[in-house]
Amino acid sequence: MNGASVSFGLNRRAISIAAWACYIFLLLPTLVVIPISFGNPGQIEFPPRQFSFVLYHQFFSDPAWWGALIQSLGVAIATTCLSLCLAVPAAYALARSKLAGRKLLRGLFMMPMLVPVVVLGLGLYLQYSSWGLLDTTAGLVVAHVTLAVPFIMVSVMSGLGHADVALETVALIMGASRTRIFFRVVLPQLSAAIAVGALFAFLTSLDEVVVAYFVTGTTTMTLPVKMYSAIRWELSPVIAAVSTLLTVVSLAIALGIIALQRPTEAHS
Amino acid sequence: MAETSSSSDLNPKAAAMLLAPLTIVMLLVFVYPLITTAWTSIHPAGYSLEAYAELTHSTLFLKTLTTTFEISISGTLVSLLLGFPVAMHLAVQPPRRRTGYLILVMLPFWTSILVKSFALTVVFGNQGLVNQLLGFVSGGAINLPMMYNRVGVIIGMINFLLPFMVLSILGSLLSQDPVLVRAAETMGAGPLRIFRRIILPLSMPGVVAGILINMTLSIGMYITPALLGGRQDMMVANLVDFYTRQTLDWTAASATAMVLLAISGCLVALLGRIRGAQGLSGAAA
Repeated sequence: MNGASVSFGLNRRAISIAAWACYIFLLLPTLVVIPISFGNPGQIEFPPRQFSFVLYHQFFSDPAWWGALIQSLGVAIATTCLSLCLAVPAAYALARSKLAGRKLLRGLFMMPMLVPVVVLGLGLYLQYSSWGLLDTTAGLVVAHVTLAVPFIMVSVMSGLGHADVALETVALIMGASRTRIFFRVVLPQLSAAIAVGALFAFLTSLDEVVVAYFVTGTTTMTLPVKMYSAIRWELSPVIAAVSTLLTVVSLAIALGIIALQRPTEAHS
Repeated sequence: MAETSSSSDLNPKAAAMLLAPLTIVMLLVFVYPLITTAWTSIHPAGYSLEAYAELTHSTLFLKTLTTTFEISISGTLVSLLLGFPVAMHLAVQPPRRRTGYLILVMLPFWTSILVKSFALTVVFGNQGLVNQLLGFVSGGAINLPMMYNRVGVIIGMINFLLPFMVLSILGSLLSQDPVLVRAAETMGAGPLRIFRRIILPLSMPGVVAGILINMTLSIGMYITPALLGGRQDMMVANLVDFYTRQTLDWTAASATAMVLLAISGCLVALLGRIRGAQGLSGAAA
């Protein structure tokens, strides 16, 4: 089929051109912020007329931005740890038991992926105001945990699918305790899947705006919330520096996930 | 006892203990707030469906709902028109090169929606790249208004939705048997005929799944209309926020949120019925 001028019945060149236009449309926004971030502090300009780190300096010297970054990183780390502690054992139990209601629970754990975030944001806002959790880091972390759990579930359940059940059976016959099997036999096989889930959880929390916008206030403001209001009200060029930093972090995490996923797929 | 596969199963008590912490957290911080929202919507003072009745008379709500559907449907359709050629381009590449192109599609997928929204205003804004380029080519100053209006929301929407559409269609294109196309060619069918009679019908599951995923995602969209739309382009998600923050009418906010939840629930239920649909999780992982 390679030499033919038609592929899938349509003209190959026309498809190529259309596809490349889309690739450029998809990539342009991600790439365009990088040069702007090294530009002039006065206004957003592309291409920038001079090269400088002024915008980065502004970002790191402004406690409002810098504090939001620290808050976001803290929340993302706490979210990752907590959601792993909750979701990994649950995924193991779902995969290795015949408990009644497994399907129902699995649906419950996956649901946050499908509910519009605004609806959850409002629900948490209403609930937190009576629990006194509004504008608290703890409230924000738990909210982010619900959003991160589905990603860990997907990754760890698929990891458990690839894991060798016979090893667990052998360990059991040899007299190992359940706890010992979990830590010595199951977890090592799941390390890549757990790492992928952890990176997904971290990125989900780091990037999340809408729920955070509902439940945080001035004292617990995360970077995306600060960025959202900055884009909406000020449109200062510092946003380009923040965007570039966020993009670099997200892409590093994405590359990590891709690198970790490849060996698991080759295995199957 | 003799069955090895079941002997490695956890006993129900152990399984329940491992599942309990997550279940409790999800019930408390996910299900309970949704119930609270439903409750708030029917319980302003005593039980009533008043809030919903008011919504059906509210011009603001009806206008927002119409806008939401208009924007979501047009965004989804454009994303389908653009996504199909991209998926076909990917499908005919040799596997290794396909991985490379797939990264081009996935890269924006990993970029924060805030970053993309900001960047889109730079590219498509009044003094943006596209207008500069058009002005340079035509020799005059051009100010096509593409941001802070309906066009802006749709551009932002497509930028976000396109990868989901591409992945969904690509899945169904890759599962097609190339022998069919070759057979049709041998029998003398032209390119258009092959596309219409073979490729298109066989990709329908992917197309329908892509449309439903795009609709589900765009119906609940909050950031894109808030940052790239004008005052007239408020969507239902923004209306929820408007009632919560501006008018402090939690009952109306809750009722609106419930309507949004019902609409996306229907879309997700439809999606679940599509054979071969990878769903949102499949696209994300």
